[in-house]
Amino acid sequence: MMLGWNIFPYVAGVVFALALLGAVVALRSRNRSRVAIIMSVLAVVVMSAFVAALWLTLERPPLRTMGETRLWYSLFLLLAGVFTYIRWSYRWVLSFSTLMATVFMTINILRPELHDQTLMPALQSVWFVPHVTVYMFSYALLGCATLLSLYGLVRPRADVGEAVERLIYGGVAFFSVGMLTGALWAKEAWGAYWSWDAKEAWAAVTWAIYLIALHLGAGRRRFYLCVVLGFVALQMCWWGISYLPSAADSVHAYN
Amino acid sequence: MGGKCNISSTVEVLLISVMVIVAVVPQWLLGDFPVELFGAPLNIIVLLLCMVCTVELYRRRATSRLAQYLLSMRATWLSLLLMVVVALVLGLQREPSSESWGVVVAMLFVLTHLQMVIMRGWRSAGGVRWRFVLNHVGLWLALAAGYYGAADREQLRVVVERDATTSVAYDMSGVMHTVEYELQLKEFTASYYDNGTPSHFEAHVAVDGDVVPLKVNHPYMLTWSDTLYLVSYDSDTPCKYCVVELVSEPWRWLTMLGIVMLIVGAVLMFLRGPRMATTEKYRCER
Repeated sequence: MMLGWNIFPYVAGVVFALALLGAVVALRSRNRSRVAIIMSVLAVVVMSAFVAALWLTLERPPLRTMGETRLWYSLFLLLAGVFTYIRWSYRWVLSFSTLMATVFMTINILRPELHDQTLMPALQSVWFVPHVTVYMFSYALLGCATLLSLYGLVRPRADVGEAVERLIYGGVAFFSVGMLTGALWAKEAWGAYWSWDAKEAWAAVTWAIYLIALHLGAGRRRFYLCVVLGFVALQMCWWGISYLPSAADSVHAYN
Repeated sequence: MGGKCNISSTVEVLLISVMVIVAVVPQWLLGDFPVELFGAPLNIIVLLLCMVCTVELYRRRATSRLAQYLLSMRATWLSLLLMVVVALVLGLQREPSSESWGVVVAMLFVLTHLQMVIMRGWRSAGGVRWRFVLNHVGLWLALAAGYYGAADREQLRVVVERDATTSVAYDMSGVMHTVEYELQLKEFTASYYDNGTPSHFEAHVAVDGDVVPLKVNHPYMLTWSDTLYLVSYDSDTPCKYCVVELVSEPWRWLTMLGIVMLIVGAVLMFLRGPRMATTEKYRCER
């Protein structure tokens, strides 16, 4: 049953090697590199295959525990990186996405969590997979935007501001869909679209901060600061709330 | 949400001062906002009055500094900041209450500002701005339905037994109510994983004689506003009772419409991206 998880360090090593190779080739190429794209896509394929194998092994979507969401986050970071590289040819974006994906894969290797088959009835819903995967994809886009914003704070450049704005538009769009499908699911499961549960409250904080960033307009210092602040709120929403007393009775605690 | 407007910050300071006074003084003197007094039709009348007043304010935008402020980008930032503060305050509480005067005042400001910018920006020279309309009207609908419809929402719990029918329900404060329906548990099935975690449970409950299935994520809609949810059950075998929640929410469809509009708006936001590339903005600003 645990075969999928046991081989993760080896899978992570292969994914890291492929993604790193793609990132280095992209950095060294003046134009969009086909080799970099192939290496990065291969990294995504290997990671996807592992997630699919884990899904089959567990006989449920691997989206329940924090460790499982980190897997998706790493996958979507790589996917967001390669998509952004293909679409806008920013040669540094693959380095950022590889770095961030590696951090989360390393956490999963150092802190492996129990991945059993149990899936409580509340999570047995058609909303489960779209709600969590869409969120994870938005976290990945917003993570890339944050790293770029930190770069933009040090070296403000028009193309960096443009890239951050595009990533924020995508990230906020997916975050909104994640939050709103969550509201529809909550109505179906608990009878209320919104109940100011700690997770919901921090999702609202995160959403509103990113909306402020969108309304500030890209390129300015306060825009970058707002994006970074949004990512801090996002971390609270994702895992930070488990350290808050207000989350003790959260209906979103599934571990 | 907002647009360009050269407004003195005096209006903003005055408005914030008024909001703080209205949020703090009644809270201190009277406690939470008396939501229960604003059930239908009073909430509908108040909503219509607020909308009419906002339309009137919008018509005076050429001369009214308040209207100009409410149409400015500063008002947008303040609205979103208020949303952050409200969510933060509620998110840090163990038992959050959204009925404080501060939340009521903040929501009133956000809804008024949203309505103002919707009236100004719903169409441009090129026609209807669909992405703008979906995102802003969707947000207004979802918030307004939750805000004005709160008093009409009723959440009651019924212990439904196998042996007898019942109409006795309790609200979240433990106050007894009588529901219009006769409920009785007819059948209950549950299965468990090896570690004892429930994998599935389902109740068949007779509602005025008609047997309906109930399980988590699969509520039963009694009427357009009333829905039954299975929330708990007797873990003994055989199961003697289950706990059913009756949620009555007449404004639910407006909220859902708002949410669906926001989802479509978000998809358009992803597909179309920023209106103008940053480099072009820089060029324009110069």
